[in-house]
Amino acid sequence: MRRLTVLYDPNCALCQRAWIWLNAQRQYVRLEFIPAGSELARSRFPGLDHEATLQELTVIGDGGEIYLGVKAWLMCLWALREYRSMALRWSTPDRMPLARRFVAWISHNRRSLNGVLSPRKEPT
Amino acid sequence: MSYTVGTYLLYLAISIVLTVWVARTLFRSGRVFLVDVFHGNEKLADSVNHLLVVGFYLINLGYISLMLRLTYDIKDARYSIEALSLKLGAVLLVLGGMHFLNLLVFSRMRRQAALDSALPPVEPDVRLLNRK
Repeated sequence: MRRLTVLYDPNCALCQRAWIWLNAQRQYVRLEFIPAGSELARSRFPGLDHEATLQELTVIGDGGEIYLGVKAWLMCLWALREYRSMALRWSTPDRMPLARRFVAWISHNRRSLNGVLSPRKEPT
Repeated sequence: MSYTVGTYLLYLAISIVLTVWVARTLFRSGRVFLVDVFHGNEKLADSVNHLLVVGFYLINLGYISLMLRLTYDIKDARYSIEALSLKLGAVLLVLGGMHFLNLLVFSRMRRQAALDSALPPVEPDVRLLNRK
C-alpha cells in the first residue's frame, strides 16, 4: 500500500487539527486528505456512501480497501513512522474495543469540542 | 623485570585477549541479526557488522590503554594480583556494558526493520469495487 486517502469532516475543528498534525508527521505511506462529501470525494469514489463518511472518519487504501472509525484511525497511525508501533499495539483483539470506545466518544463529541478548539485556516 | 612491568604486561595480555574474544563473538553472532535486518542483503550486513566491531575495538582498546597506569610500585606477587584484579574487573565491566549496548543496537535495528515492513494491522471493513 503506497497511499491512503482520508475523508475528513470539513466542518469540524478537531478534524482539521488532526489533519494538520497528521500532515506534519513523517509518513511511511502517503496520506491524502479530501473533505468528506465534497465533489472531489464523490467523483473519486462514486460507489461510496458519502452521507456515512460525514458521520465517521473514512480511510481508503489504494486497492479500494475502506476502513471506518477506529480502523481508519489505526490506519492513519500505521502510516506514520513514529506511530506505527502504537497502531500495531492498539489493534490487538484485547485492546481494540477500548480504542473503538475512545474513538467513538471523540467522534460523537467532536462538534462540542469545536468550541474548545478554534478552527484553523486550511493550509494551501 | 620488575613486578610493576610484569603486571602491566600481564594486564595488557589478558585484557586484549578478552577484547578480541568478545569482539569475535559479537562479529559471529551479530551477523545473523544484521542479515535479517537488511532483508538478506549479506554485503550490507557484513559491512555494518565490520564497522560496529571496529568501533567496539577502538573504544575498548582506548579504555584499556587509559587504565594501564599504576600510581604505586608493585613490590610482590600479592600486590600484582590485587592490582590486576582491580584493573581487569574494570575492563570486564566496560566490555560487558559495550556488549549489551551492541545488543541493544542490534535489537533496535531489528525492531525498526520489522516496523518498516509491517502489514496493515486491521482488515478493511469493505472493499470498493467501482472506483476511478
